[in-house]
Amino acid sequence: MKKQAVIAGVGESSYHVRGRSPDSEFQLACTAIRNAAEDAGIALADIDGFVSYNDQRNDPLRLARALGIRDLRWAVQSWAGGGNNAAHAVQMADAAVCAGYAENVVAFRALAQGQFGRFGQSRGGGRTMDGDMAWKAPYGLLSPAQECALHTARFMHDHGISQEALCDISLACYANAQRNPRAVRYGQPLDREKYHASRWIVEPFHLYDCCPENDGASAVVVTTAERARDLKSKPAAILACAQGLGPMYGSSAFQPRWIGRMYYDNVGRSLWERAGVGPDDVDVAQFYENFTGPVLISLCEMGFCKPDEVEAFVANGALEGPDARFPFNTSGGNIGEAYIHGFELVVEAARQIRGESTCQIADAELSLVVSGPGYAPGSALLLAKT
Amino acid sequence: MTRHLGDDWVLPELSDLNRPFFTSGQVQVQVCDDCGVLQQPPDEICGSCQSTKLSFRATSGEGSIESVAVVHQAVHPALKDACPYAVVVVSLDDAPGVSVIGNVLNRDPGEVAIGQRVRACFETCPSADGEETLKIPQWEVV
Ligand SMILES: [Zn+2]
Repeated sequence: MKKQAVIAGVGESSYHVRGRSPDSEFQLACTAIRNAAEDAGIALADIDGFVSYNDQRNDPLRLARALGIRDLRWAVQSWAGGGNNAAHAVQMADAAVCAGYAENVVAFRALAQGQFGRFGQSRGGGRTMDGDMAWKAPYGLLSPAQECALHTARFMHDHGISQEALCDISLACYANAQRNPRAVRYGQPLDREKYHASRWIVEPFHLYDCCPENDGASAVVVTTAERARDLKSKPAAILACAQGLGPMYGSSAFQPRWIGRMYYDNVGRSLWERAGVGPDDVDVAQFYENFTGPVLISLCEMGFCKPDEVEAFVANGALEGPDARFPFNTSGGNIGEAYIHGFELVVEAARQIRGESTCQIADAELSLVVSGPGYAPGSALLLAKT
Repeated sequence: MTRHLGDDWVLPELSDLNRPFFTSGQVQVQVCDDCGVLQQPPDEICGSCQSTKLSFRATSGEGSIESVAVVHQAVHPALKDACPYAVVVVSLDDAPGVSVIGNVLNRDPGEVAIGQRVRACFETCPSADGEETLKIPQWEVV
């Protein structure tokens, strides 16, 4: 019989405004992993796999030494992009555990942008840029915010979507973060006036459409359902994961047939097919929001509504709080809780299944993570009560 | 100043794949010699028939704005004075399915909109190594 994998433990470091972490990125990673193992009731020495994504700087060999790992059997990370692969990290842990390559695999993300520089800033110090950047950088198209703005502007134009829909995404994240003492934005509520008064970063994104830059780390322990029965924590079953490789990457994403899209129809199709459920069955969802606009696009592409319905779908507080019509980013997400490249969303999705969220919905049976619209490959994860 | 974002701003590193676009003084796109498909950005293989026989074709340099993002916050200190500026995606009339990235030079950024008709113009300057002359395609609303 095929094995069933579960998230048996979750953990995180404290989260900080960029540059304010007293610990190094590597120390943050170790803290999150130790907390996840402790939560699961698994000895650090029994961890036998590490999975991460997108140029993770904290390599598995250094982690293994620091954490006293005896037998590292599975160490991989995803291709390309950024937070798009948070769910895929869990997928790779799931694959390893279900196939029997490893038994206690940690999926994690750590970043300290204060220590290592900022993702949103151009790293171009030289006079020229090559490869795909040669098509973009000479025109001042440099950052993920700017690329997502081009897609969002077209999506808004095509479907008559107003700035209020973007605002509603940000307001929901901020509202939910006010319930979460871990959140970097805890105690800093946002309202519609403040949103509109904030400066433009790149139209159509105001300051509050963009997630902040943070220092922190989060991690989960993936193991078999069988092993989890002997552990102390409440597991969340990994019902399905999916990674979707659309043709969207770099400047090719701006060709007329691709612009305004995020390729989550691919991801959604795989996810729903594998899980044997559909969007209507989802109880609570965490959508990666480096910027608000791509959330609107991925909500549609994942099958929750049509593009001409999405403004109404998110309006009037529909995403805010535990009694939301569509419970969404319940920890505050990248915008409100912390930008840990979307991995904090995986932790929150598991907490909802365990009944331990600071914005806990009633009877969470199916908990969704949609990772990183904005860059291919995208990925998604569906957790269920065991 | 000859360049919209400043004369010291980043230049393309020339390669066989981008030299026609950035030096010819025309908006050139890649064409597959076997199946006729156009592709942008150019690559070493045709994404439609996998042929490696690829060349470049000049377009009329006329097209429409597919999307626009007005950049207000400079993500590099050298762009501070250039902000706000409009980054546009332009589809080309005689190169179906293909679009290119650029800036609009003859309008305030706030006046640039999806659907506007544009025509190519060129920023002429030496390449970074001084060996070649760049003619960087840019756009004017007509
Ligand atoms: Zn071909």
